[in-house]
Amino acid sequence: MSAAIELNGVSKRYVKLEEQAMLLRSVMPFSRPKRSELMALRDVDIAIQPGETVGVLGRNGAGKTTLLRLLAGVSRPSAGRLVVRGRIAPLISVGVGFHEEMSGRENVYVNGMLLGLSRVEIDERFDRIVEFAELADFIDTPVKFYSSGMFMRLGFSVAVHVEPEVLLVDEVLAVGDLGFQLKCFDRMRELKARGTTILLVSHSMHAIRLLCPRAILLRHGEVAFDGDSEDAISRHYELMSLDAEAGEHGATSGSVTVVERALVGPGGATVHQADQDTPLALRMRLRFEEAVDSPHLVFAVTAEDGTRAYEMWTAVGRRYRRFEAGDETEVEIAFEPRLGGGTYRFTTTVLAADGKAALAHDDAATLLYMPPPLGAAGVADLRAVITVGGELLNDHPPLLLDGG
Amino acid sequence: MSTRAHVLEVGPEPASRTAWIADVRAHAGVLGVLARKDFQTRYKRASFGVLWAVAVPMLQAAVMAIVFTRVIRVGTGDDFGAYVIAGILAWTYFAGTLMASSTSIVDHSGLADKVWFPRIVLVLVPPIANIVGLLVSYAVLVPLLPVLGVDLGLRLLLLPVACVLLVAFTVALSLVLSALHVYYRDVRFLVQAALLVWLYVTPVVYRQELLDDLAGAADFNPMTGVVTVFHAATVGAEDGWARPVAVTVVTTLVLFCVGLELQRRRDRLFVDQL
Repeated sequence: MSAAIELNGVSKRYVKLEEQAMLLRSVMPFSRPKRSELMALRDVDIAIQPGETVGVLGRNGAGKTTLLRLLAGVSRPSAGRLVVRGRIAPLISVGVGFHEEMSGRENVYVNGMLLGLSRVEIDERFDRIVEFAELADFIDTPVKFYSSGMFMRLGFSVAVHVEPEVLLVDEVLAVGDLGFQLKCFDRMRELKARGTTILLVSHSMHAIRLLCPRAILLRHGEVAFDGDSEDAISRHYELMSLDAEAGEHGATSGSVTVVERALVGPGGATVHQADQDTPLALRMRLRFEEAVDSPHLVFAVTAEDGTRAYEMWTAVGRRYRRFEAGDETEVEIAFEPRLGGGTYRFTTTVLAADGKAALAHDDAATLLYMPPPLGAAGVADLRAVITVGGELLNDHPPLLLDGG
Repeated sequence: MSTRAHVLEVGPEPASRTAWIADVRAHAGVLGVLARKDFQTRYKRASFGVLWAVAVPMLQAAVMAIVFTRVIRVGTGDDFGAYVIAGILAWTYFAGTLMASSTSIVDHSGLADKVWFPRIVLVLVPPIANIVGLLVSYAVLVPLLPVLGVDLGLRLLLLPVACVLLVAFTVALSLVLSALHVYYRDVRFLVQAALLVWLYVTPVVYRQELLDDLAGAADFNPMTGVVTVFHAATVGAEDGWARPVAVTVVTTLVLFCVGLELQRRRDRLFVDQL
């Protein structure tokens, strides 16, 4: 059987003009605006078999969105060839091209037709689409009055009810409440069971882990890894840490330099992911470029969306030791990661004795992925136990897919 | 449609002419829905609905007719009022449609950069949606003609021909301008400025013979041919109508071919500029 998605040597080059192209400038000789080229994708080869569910990982700008655009057929490659076999439902960012002035009902029809359904086919599916989107009361309201969650629910609902053979999903699961997210997972699993090929682009390692046995890691427009999703996720964190280190190493406010840092598990090995029960430590080596008396530390943990999950300050004002220029010292911050699911960034700030002037700020190489505790959401893991009439109710069965 | 085998195959080259045209035809249903929505959303919340499409140009024409007959006194003939209205209604369609469709690919980028359909669909929405207003406005004008001092006659059968010529020229020009606008955003303003001047170099609010020596030059304005046919259908043909009409037909054909070719070659690349 031929592959559902096939890319052979696909490259996409964007030509960005330094200034917006102006008619006058392009007509006049010697004043052509400067051009710069951006290779969004470089010689990408991918083959995805029908029925596979594949995740796509990568930092912002790695080429994920370009890849989806090419597969949706909206854009064409600069070189190479791609083939997508089957009806495609692209679900790229919030709202699959909704018309603001039109009601939800009208948008369902326009959208359905754009996705290749006939009017009759939409009639048949209309009630199911509205019911799934939980928008029965608002279906005749213009979508400009919809919240982003409502927008997304309608878009997702239309896309999955098209019964696509190839579903392209971009970050859509990041929006909406937990209940709807779970419903989306269920629906995607249903489509998967029916043989739909799914390509899921996400920053949420959680979603990729749950749905995709295989993942492709993009980096600077190239395929950096293609294989088992667990391995892809580890490789992704490894690369992110490397990139962060390359970008921030040595960038300090002057008097203190962070020479080394590592987030380590009980055995002393560097970790990029951990579960809630494993004690961890952030180990750093500081070098003093000039004499500093009794520096203080702030240790902070930030969630993906910028939420401050935790902060610990050392006792400011306490005099304990004077470091001379050229001295080096070890810092160890030991902690238990009682965090909810997600990716966290660990930041350490070195302050002067008065707690005011920042001497160094370091958040390189300290990203940690925490698997979400089953049934839980949020940044903290409070380990709630819910019983009704003495019956334990939140011992969730594992929410995993059948492999392959 | 659903029984068709869906295979998307894209390389760096534009789609072949046959494949592209088949793709455009496959999206005719979408075009119909979008055009209907475009029309509905414009007039849905207005209490007089589509009558606004007639009332505004009628008022404009009335003002023009009064200014040119009573104030500047260049208007001639008892049928000058009908002459101006017949031209203004066509002009209103042309100007309104051109402004919307020449910027349509950029203006609807929200709809355009997610789901694939040939972008020409967006360009064709305003010309098609505005046909309703055009037809209604002439349907209102025809019974008014005797009131304006013009007898009804067989020449009214030319009205559909005039409308076809108007729509064809508007579409042809829109195809070219909308493709250029994606790359050169000045096009939006150039169109606005050009329309302002264009109205006064087209014999809409004055009779072409007033131009004397310049009347021959005015024949090379493709809109002259369009309004000439509208005048022929309403107040009666003038001498020398053939040359401007021939210019319009040739210009339309050339712009149409160039426009289609631009739309085909640049399809799937427009999105990179949005």
